[in-house]
Amino acid sequence: MKKLLILLAVVGAAGVVAWSVATADEAPISGTVKAIDAAGKTLMLQTVAKGKTRDVTIVLKPESKIVKFVRPTDPGKTGFVEQALSLSDLKPGWIVSVTTRHEGDKEVADVVKVVLER
Amino acid sequence: MRPRTWWLAAIAPGALAIAMWISSPPPSRANGEKDHVDKGGHAHVPAPLDYADAHMPISGWTDPVMIARGKEIYVTKCAVCHGDSGDGKGPAGAALPLKPPDLRDKAGVAEMRDNYWLWRVSEGGQPEPFKSKGSAMPPWKADLSVEDRWAVIAYQHTFSGHQGPHVPWEHPEMVQVGRDIFAMACIQCHGVEGRGDGSVGATLSPRRAPQPRDLTSGQFKFRSTPSGQLPTTADLFRTVTEGVRSSGGPLTFGLSGHRIMPSFRHMPVAQRLEALEFVKSFYRGFWERAPAEAIVIPPAPPVTAERLARGKQLYADAECLACHGATGRGDGPSAPTLKDSTELPIAATDLTQPKRFKSGARPEDVYRTLRTGLAGTPMPSYADSLEPDQTWDLVYYVLSLSQEGIAREQPRGGGR
Repeated sequence: MKKLLILLAVVGAAGVVAWSVATADEAPISGTVKAIDAAGKTLMLQTVAKGKTRDVTIVLKPESKIVKFVRPTDPGKTGFVEQALSLSDLKPGWIVSVTTRHEGDKEVADVVKVVLER
Repeated sequence: MRPRTWWLAAIAPGALAIAMWISSPPPSRANGEKDHVDKGGHAHVPAPLDYADAHMPISGWTDPVMIARGKEIYVTKCAVCHGDSGDGKGPAGAALPLKPPDLRDKAGVAEMRDNYWLWRVSEGGQPEPFKSKGSAMPPWKADLSVEDRWAVIAYQHTFSGHQGPHVPWEHPEMVQVGRDIFAMACIQCHGVEGRGDGSVGATLSPRRAPQPRDLTSGQFKFRSTPSGQLPTTADLFRTVTEGVRSSGGPLTFGLSGHRIMPSFRHMPVAQRLEALEFVKSFYRGFWERAPAEAIVIPPAPPVTAERLARGKQLYADAECLACHGATGRGDGPSAPTLKDSTELPIAATDLTQPKRFKSGARPEDVYRTLRTGLAGTPMPSYADSLEPDQTWDLVYYVLSLSQEGIAREQPRGGGR
């Protein structure tokens, strides 16, 4: 009986851990760049969540990456390669996708990926 | 149980609750919903009426020039999200809350109608339900011409491996939802194959028109398109929504003024649109025609005594009274001999009873009927013989033949 209970507890705990790992990945935020504050190192995105449009301010830290994807220039290479951008390269109207982490009440960018320049 | 076991049993639910709390993103953080991400979020809802008549020219699906043009655009504008191979795994797409679809998925692509496809490419993630799902798909209608958008779609279609045109007779799956609705709501009159031979329909007015429409014939009475053309989907939607009233006649037992085709107003819009996509699939001409264009109905002018007088003269000159009679009661000298395109006797509409006007009794409805005619019936189009202003004259005179019409459109500028 004791072994069975311990086994059940271990299986349950493992399940909880596995479930947490499986669901803890944060969905990215995508939206249109509304404003860029290069001095304040922030980016305002207009996003839609559950049918409501809202503005989200993203804080960029030195370790935050901003990239866009371009075709490789090396002959024979296919696909896309990352090209690093700075915050000032972004333009209002561009569509980006941002993976973020919470730091207090701030959304801090891990990676900003340019989806569309327009 | 021993204390240690109790401790384990007590801590497990707590651990579960903490794990759920940690792993659930606060609502303010992301605009993607994990459920939608997993499913791809690509609900193949019907395209709205603005796009419902948009169909790729059939040859376009396999036209190498068009496909090459589409590829050129795709690799520069689309592949970054949709992937070079259409797998939806382009580097920018991988980070999106709502992942691009896998266009290599034959079953998924087979369900996508071409008008839905064009709608999505044109409007991107702006319309619902995609907006709420966090779609980042850009709208391309401002950047790409319609031809270029079709070219991109033709190229995307190649990812599925399907070699033929992307049409319902190649992919019945794309009208399956509509087929199910049709089976529940329409086959009683229109029959399983849409030939108008359902078990109930013929009993409505035996051996006499109107019979349930043969949807395979390509003849539709109630249109906003010029004579000889197919209706727009909006026309079909109007008919399904409003139903069709009986125009009277000796064998329409107890049905005069009542609907011989019921109104499906109660049916959700999306279901009506799905059913109509299936209805259209009965006739390939909907995919083979040039883009449908409705006639323009100019703003209704004011009713005046002069206009009514001119309309009365036109009523005689255009020989309306031959069928509808001098007083509009549908008792003109030709009325007893009228037949529809299937050689069934058909009654001339009693114009003193606007409630029997099959295509509607508002001035703009009567205008439309006069300009388009009613396909398959003796009612001709007057688009070539009457100027728009003359058509309004006739509209108001026709409406003046009934008490209801007079009450609705009070003459101004001189009275009667």
